[in-house]
Amino acid sequence: MKAFPMSESRPPSAKGIDGFINDERYRSVFYQIVVFGLFIWAVFSLIDNTQTNMAARKMAVGFDFLKNSAGFAIAWTPLDYKPQDSYFFVYWVGVVNTLLLAGVSIILATLVGFLVGIMRLAQNWLVAQIASWYVEVLRNTPLLLQIIFWYLGAFANLPRPKQSLEIFGIDWLVLNNRGLYVPKPEVLELFWLTGAAFVIGIILALWLNRRATTKQQETGQYVSTILPTFAAVFGLPALVFVITGMPLDWSLPELKGFNYRGGGFVLPAMLAVMVALVVYHSAYAAEMVRAGIMSVNKGQTEAAASLGLKQNFIMRLVIIPQAMRAIVPPMISLWMNVVKNSSLAIAIGFPDLVSVFMQTSLNQSGHAVEIVAMVMAFYMTVSLTISACLNVYNKKIQIQER
Amino acid sequence: MTDLAPDIGNRSKFTPKPDLPPPPNTTGVSGWLRYNLFNGVFNSILTALSIIAIFFMVKAFYEWAFVNAIWEASSRDECRISSTKIGTCWAGVNVWFTRFIYGRYADAEIWRINLAFIIFIIWMVPLWLPKITSKIFIGLSAVLIYPFLAGYMFLGGERGWFMEVMVALSLTCFLFVLIHSLLCLTTGLGLYGWIIKVSGFSKKNEHQHKYPVIGFTLLTVAVVAFLINDITFKYMSNNLWGGLFLTLVISGIAIASALPAGIILALGRRSKMAVIRVLCVAFIELFRSVPLITILFMATTMFPLFLPGGMVINKLASAIVAVCLFAAAYMAEVVRGGLQAIPKGQYEAAEAVGLTYWQATVLIVMPQALKFMIPNIVGNFMGLLKDTTLVSIIGLYDLLGMINAVSHDPKWIGLHHEPLFTAAVLFFIGCFAMSKYSQHLERSLGAGNNR
Repeated sequence: MKAFPMSESRPPSAKGIDGFINDERYRSVFYQIVVFGLFIWAVFSLIDNTQTNMAARKMAVGFDFLKNSAGFAIAWTPLDYKPQDSYFFVYWVGVVNTLLLAGVSIILATLVGFLVGIMRLAQNWLVAQIASWYVEVLRNTPLLLQIIFWYLGAFANLPRPKQSLEIFGIDWLVLNNRGLYVPKPEVLELFWLTGAAFVIGIILALWLNRRATTKQQETGQYVSTILPTFAAVFGLPALVFVITGMPLDWSLPELKGFNYRGGGFVLPAMLAVMVALVVYHSAYAAEMVRAGIMSVNKGQTEAAASLGLKQNFIMRLVIIPQAMRAIVPPMISLWMNVVKNSSLAIAIGFPDLVSVFMQTSLNQSGHAVEIVAMVMAFYMTVSLTISACLNVYNKKIQIQER
Repeated sequence: MTDLAPDIGNRSKFTPKPDLPPPPNTTGVSGWLRYNLFNGVFNSILTALSIIAIFFMVKAFYEWAFVNAIWEASSRDECRISSTKIGTCWAGVNVWFTRFIYGRYADAEIWRINLAFIIFIIWMVPLWLPKITSKIFIGLSAVLIYPFLAGYMFLGGERGWFMEVMVALSLTCFLFVLIHSLLCLTTGLGLYGWIIKVSGFSKKNEHQHKYPVIGFTLLTVAVVAFLINDITFKYMSNNLWGGLFLTLVISGIAIASALPAGIILALGRRSKMAVIRVLCVAFIELFRSVPLITILFMATTMFPLFLPGGMVINKLASAIVAVCLFAAAYMAEVVRGGLQAIPKGQYEAAEAVGLTYWQATVLIVMPQALKFMIPNIVGNFMGLLKDTTLVSIIGLYDLLGMINAVSHDPKWIGLHHEPLFTAAVLFFIGCFAMSKYSQHLERSLGAGNNR
């Protein structure tokens, strides 16, 4: 603090042992050494206790067990898992299941949340009330209770395969107590061309939009890019798909004997936990959307209108970008919560990471420390990645003041 | 100019015509309906659809909850309303309701739990009365000293000398809070002032005022300890604890320990000392980024390994520790939010008048930050209450655990929906009241003015 000339003329008593004790810098170093020492001591005594206890219980240490065969079946996974696969593959299956469950839930919860949030702001009193009670009821009951409720209340009472419910009366879209059966796409040769066309379409759309923006900035002319964007992103792949001779086969579920064969299926437990996650988090998302839109000052709308902007431009260019600034950061932490809360799937037996690895594998192998560390590492990676993205976004949208 | 004056006077007085009535359909019930529900075709369709949806939901719920309901039966089988269909069996909820609230606690001892909760409520009531002084003491004693009394009342059994002293101290505090509140309400003079006045120390130097107070306290503790010496409660092992009671115990301990821990962690996170800051950030980020269920699993599998040889930790204790760690990390972020709302000038001003860091924090910054934090703390408590249900996954019988237990009772086998509904209602009432209260606080404390 050279800015204060006062500090230059410290009283001479700030020397010697007294000054040493009272000097803030030395004291701060001393405290830090003490805290660090305590921390190291705590860590070492924990490690020491753990080693003693593990030795007493004849528990092995190390990650070698990951190569061993797990030997248990997993009820549902998109991967090709067999009971003789290793524990490491079980971990991987858990990670994929968790991310799949959380990913789908995040997308749906955000969409439903936007819908409900807009409903809460609706002029129609009844609609606003329904949305508001939706939010209140869902936010004020525990998620675990909701998951169990959806499972036992809806998805555990489904009929047997023989009496399957046919959704929309279609016989290849059925719901029974084994799960939801849907057609499964089987990729043939040349399908990669469609995928490539999709990527090219996105790049093309981005380029078109950028050109339109540049043109508007330079000349003031506005060119609508909605149609070309759609054509590039969806039309181009569709065209390539047809030209290459529709290289996609659908494997349809069929009732054979006591069960359906073919097609893809989703466990009732997964449906239940997904519905619960979507519904629960959509209530939080709705509140964020509502708060975000309300946070935009009314003067902004009026100022935009006085500049002569049309109604939909006011919404798109003035209101939504500012509301997004208030919506996105909490929304991203909500997504993080969805990933974390998907671990509650364990309560109804959906094989997510915690269920297959932290419960079944841990009980079988007994490698508590390693398994807990691996599971926590996964969740920490996800959450640190998400918060890193959030920081980048926040930097980008921060209002530049003066 | 003079001839103008009478002219003005003579001009017939301006009598405004009565206001025209507002256009029809803009006021009253019909106006409200028109504006809010039937303004335009789209809105009218929405209203109609909403009414239809509400009607069907209410009808389905009514039929489930009342029409097909059986209120008195001794087993689920007796709840049949036809040969194929089992009705809504509220009888099961009725039979099990005591268990939902108190778990497997012996019926004859339940009064202990009730009494402990009533004491807590009486202890807290003065905090809401405007005339009472020394609210900080009342609040702190409720958080720090009451748990010993409650712990003994719940657990019972033999008291060691430590528990003997703590229970006596706790009862003394309760007595003091009661007397203090009554004195405040009647004479306006708190217990402290009253003791000094009665003991005749009021004329002496203020430094000596503490002696009669300390003496009186010690005397009361001794008398109370003597009086309760022979009273012991029956031992109720903590694996008999359950239901809503256990949920409240776990979340209560967690919130009470989370607040001081959270304040320390938040101050550590803002500290200039790198080592302390890094450790606090690591703790907060670790426990905030992993799900509670993994912390609970860690607690049940790893805590027994962490302890020095010979020590054992039961499942409830490890679950409580786990929930406390989790709650502390979240509370730290709430406190940090409150601290960030305090302008830097407050610190600088405190420094300028010569206050040390701790004086500035305790006397200047924290009281202001607390104002911003209270709504979030209440919200946090609500979240914690909901999250506590997770302990049922590791096999504790909290409210949700008891709900699951009903369906395993041979008499009521498969009874899921009614108990779940009951639990949902209980949680909803608690959490909804709390969230409304926190919104009210936010308004009354002015933290939400800038909207």
